Amino acid sequence: MTEKKHNADVLVIGAGIAGIEASLMLSKADRKVHLVEKTSYTGGTTIKFEEVFSNMECSTCMVAPIQQELLQDKNINLLTLAEVEEVKGSFGDFTIKVSKKARYVDMVNCIGCNACFEPCPVSLKNEFEEGLSERKAIYVPCAGALPNVPMIDTENCIRFKGKKCTACQEACMFEAIDYNQKDEKLELKVGAIIVATGFNIFDSKKLPKYGYGKFDDVYSALEFERLYASNGPTEGKIILKNGNAPKSAAIVHCVGRDEKGYCSSVCCMYSLKFNHYLKTKIPEIEISEFYTDLCIPGKSHQKFYEKMKETKVNMIRASEIEITKHGKEMAVKYNNGSGKKNTLSVDMVILAPAIQPSDTASKLAKTLGINLDEYGFFQEENLEGSSVLSSKPGIFIAGCAQGAKNIQDSVSQATAAVGKILSSS
Amino acid sequence: MAEKFEPRIVGFLCNWCSYAGADLAGTSKLKVPSSLTPIRVMCSSRIDPVLVETAFLQGADGVLVAGCHPGDCHYGEGNYYARRRFAILKKVVEGLGLESDRLRLSWVSASEGQRFADVVNEFNEKIKKMGPSTIKEKKSL
Amino acid sequence: MERKIGVYICECGPNIAEKIDIDKVIDAISSSEDVTVAEKFKLLCSADGKKFLEEQIKKHNLTHFVVAACSPKEHEKTFMEVSENSGINPYLFQLANIREQCAWITEDKDEATKKAIRMIKAAIGRVRYHSSLDKKEIDSNPDVLVIGGGIAGIEASLQLASPDRKVYLVEKASSLGGLVTNFEKNFLGMKPISDFIDKKIQDVKHNENIKIFTDTEVEEAIGFFGNFEIKLKNPDEEIESIGFNVGAIVLATGSKLFDPKIIPEYGYGKIDNVLTSLEFEKMNKDGKISLKNGKTPKSVAIIHCVGRDEKGYCSEICCMYSLKFARYLKDKIPQVKVTNFYSDLCIPGKTHQKFYEQTKAKNVDMVRFSDIEIAKNKDQMTLEYKDEKGGKKSLLADMIILSPAVEPSIDASKMAEITGISQDEEGFYEEAHEKINPVSTSTEGIYIIGCAQGPKNITDTLVQSEAAAGKILSSLVPGRKIEPEVKTSEISESFCIGCKTCLSVCSYGAITFDETKKVSVVNEVICRGCGNCVAACPSGAASIKHFKFNQIYQEVKEAIK
Repeated sequence: MTEKKHNADVLVIGAGIAGIEASLMLSKADRKVHLVEKTSYTGGTTIKFEEVFSNMECSTCMVAPIQQELLQDKNINLLTLAEVEEVKGSFGDFTIKVSKKARYVDMVNCIGCNACFEPCPVSLKNEFEEGLSERKAIYVPCAGALPNVPMIDTENCIRFKGKKCTACQEACMFEAIDYNQKDEKLELKVGAIIVATGFNIFDSKKLPKYGYGKFDDVYSALEFERLYASNGPTEGKIILKNGNAPKSAAIVHCVGRDEKGYCSSVCCMYSLKFNHYLKTKIPEIEISEFYTDLCIPGKSHQKFYEKMKETKVNMIRASEIEITKHGKEMAVKYNNGSGKKNTLSVDMVILAPAIQPSDTASKLAKTLGINLDEYGFFQEENLEGSSVLSSKPGIFIAGCAQGAKNIQDSVSQATAAVGKILSSS
Repeated sequence: MAEKFEPRIVGFLCNWCSYAGADLAGTSKLKVPSSLTPIRVMCSSRIDPVLVETAFLQGADGVLVAGCHPGDCHYGEGNYYARRRFAILKKVVEGLGLESDRLRLSWVSASEGQRFADVVNEFNEKIKKMGPSTIKEKKSL
Repeated sequence: MERKIGVYICECGPNIAEKIDIDKVIDAISSSEDVTVAEKFKLLCSADGKKFLEEQIKKHNLTHFVVAACSPKEHEKTFMEVSENSGINPYLFQLANIREQCAWITEDKDEATKKAIRMIKAAIGRVRYHSSLDKKEIDSNPDVLVIGGGIAGIEASLQLASPDRKVYLVEKASSLGGLVTNFEKNFLGMKPISDFIDKKIQDVKHNENIKIFTDTEVEEAIGFFGNFEIKLKNPDEEIESIGFNVGAIVLATGSKLFDPKIIPEYGYGKIDNVLTSLEFEKMNKDGKISLKNGKTPKSVAIIHCVGRDEKGYCSEICCMYSLKFARYLKDKIPQVKVTNFYSDLCIPGKTHQKFYEQTKAKNVDMVRFSDIEIAKNKDQMTLEYKDEKGGKKSLLADMIILSPAVEPSIDASKMAEITGISQDEEGFYEEAHEKINPVSTSTEGIYIIGCAQGPKNITDTLVQSEAAAGKILSSLVPGRKIEPEVKTSEISESFCIGCKTCLSVCSYGAITFDETKKVSVVNEVICRGCGNCVAACPSGAASIKHFKFNQIYQEVKEAIK
């Protein structure tokens, strides 16, 4: 009887911070990695942040070196615009079918000069910038995106909708644009799989009392991150929809917490980070943070909170929050700690919505044959044991795909998943 | 005949943050004065008085040292040392008979292309106002 | 040997060609006698471009080469590989960034051309002073020392041990298991912990690749990644220390609780039946929750956040285990009145809120409080506190359980000193990077896990154990040599005046002092090449390979022309 050989290669699904760290570590151990990412870029949600808590380090500076390392690593086969369609087999011997959408831009020829954007006649809202600015049908999501190669959005490109247009191709001096590229179907053989598909945020429109989508200047956390970002739609200027700088802002924690039934663990900290953002750009601004229970575990987090308190931020324990319009401004109606009703006028409201599983989680769970928990996150095999083991041997989970957590814990899980793989195969 | 003064500024940029920020200014096609010639070092803590002195003695009109923001240094604390040395470096510049403002220390992160452009533009204007370094004039006599 | 420098300018399509007069540049740089050839090419990073360069190097017998193109961050590695493939040491190469930092930022073609000439001449000047640098390879020992035999150390040992890799697990107490052996249940699933921890301990004991030392402490740990020399204090003091070598060290020294005696208002140590959480865990595990007089408590108060203000951080696990205590009590003494006093309920984690709600449903009173004071009241105690609305309230209780802050273990400082790693203000070991490198330290090869790194629950501790194992398994491979940084610092013995300034500025502890020769010595394996010591050295004895003064000086000279 021949012993089945255990395949040493690994499939990592998701090229966010967890997926990138896992891939780099596996490569260091001389493992071949197939890194499948559904978008056109690496870095996930982390690259949307300008700074991270608790030392307000520049997020790009933190991530860019490892993204570069990833792109130049010979052991890592990065497949962007790709999704896992089928998984067969078991630990040591999985056969994966991946569908890869065509980028229509040659990744070797393209040098990232961006000359193809300007002539494109199509303009639409940029999803990466949370709709706060526009992009073309041929685009990179943001300045500094890696890989620095654009993609053609065939749903909006007029050529792909039947019209004659070769504007981008004519502008390219490197013969990098290739309309004849085809979507591909790939088959990969790996021994283990790491699921690092990240998260989405709760849609605050589901709770009309917060005024999201109704009032101009109610922003969700990721929209605000882009507003502050130096490579964002306003190059970091914090301005209201009317172009003025806000004089006062309310940051509302726990949006959707009751609906989801869990605390998303990072929102109190990033809400305090937002206070820092606002005070940095607009020192005179008045900020009120509306919270229920301040959740700031971690040896360095309370220090940051104390530092923020020194900026005279108004910390208000509140319930029954409602955002209403009040002339030109908005008003936050709430019950304070003593149960008294109060109203506060503000120019700008920032919501901290719950973190929820990525949209693709449910489909991916079925494809992989692993369980989701009652919240839709990938379920760990055993609540008391290691949280990186899924319900199926050989498939590991890391980062927010397993549950809301901060970057440190996501990286720990990614590293742990690699540890598990290296120690068992 | 007064020739138009074209400053010569030496820019010591740290590999991890400010050099990347300068690259981003390039990728974003921002306008940055050509008076600054970038020189890459691994960390702003590499910059010692001899390098700064040498630059000025060679006739530099300005020297810019750019590193990571405090707390972000790739090597942990290198930029803190750069910051501390800067105070002494200013005295070195004065010792050469030059205005201490001809030496500048700035923090530029990898995502701050615009900031890099702004810093260099502003520094360039300042140097233009100050005029050529007196050391350069002595050399050309 | 005669120097033959080849200079190649990339047109990068129109990106450089349209912004810079490349022919003018070639004219300007060709005048130097050691510039054997200066040519342009459409796209040097392409397959054709690389082939062209390799052919050129061979054709002209070049000894050094310069490429003027895009940023080193894009293609320095590419062209260094071309060098290597063509027989030139990859460090005899320099890249001039005339795209991002010249062509793309300069409007005027004339100015851009002049700047490009300066930058390329600077690169040529610099490369003349480059030295060949070779990759270093050193043997490494794949074995690991794990300090601390609690759940963190046990899990790390199990993940790491293999026939190729011995693990030395050192525990100062007489038995393994650490703090969790005192708990009846784990708050996540409320399942008995003993099954879990007993099995882990058995696994460790039966693992022939794990050598366990109990009643033992680490005395010395000297060396560097791949080569640490360890000495253990022999429990039998008659016999000399136990010594062995390892390649990596994992610190899993755990935690202890803040001493509530420091806050007299809690009455701990003064009033009977005021217990710490650990004392209550032990009492519960032993099978009977009772007061000092042997009676069963009728009203129990559990106070969260004890010592939080004094310590300045939230210990993350206390709210959850305090709820667990409420469950212990309600399960074992159904009629008992349980009141949890908390300030901010800290229950992150997807199952934690459900756990909280289910606990509350067992008729547990949750009271948000501030300013609590405990006084003896005959057989009972009175708790006086301010409630959420600020009103003064009081409660009578038979038993009070305090949930104190989690601190690093009493040995943390000693271990930090022995291994040379740093601690934060609170005594927790400091990680290399708060976000993306939480289990490494700034000393390569030394890792920190569990509560020694920061307060955390059992699941997160297991993750860190596995993470440290992952780090070690991927970087310390049996039989594989370690390749440390090439561009390291070196200190000239003749010029070193022995002032030790360099030692004090090195963040990595890469410099040691040779007491015999009275000079500083750089450990090239640990050095990361930042250059701080070079700038700090008052005698010019320190220099950094590839970033030497005379190399940078050449760039400065040209930058000013």
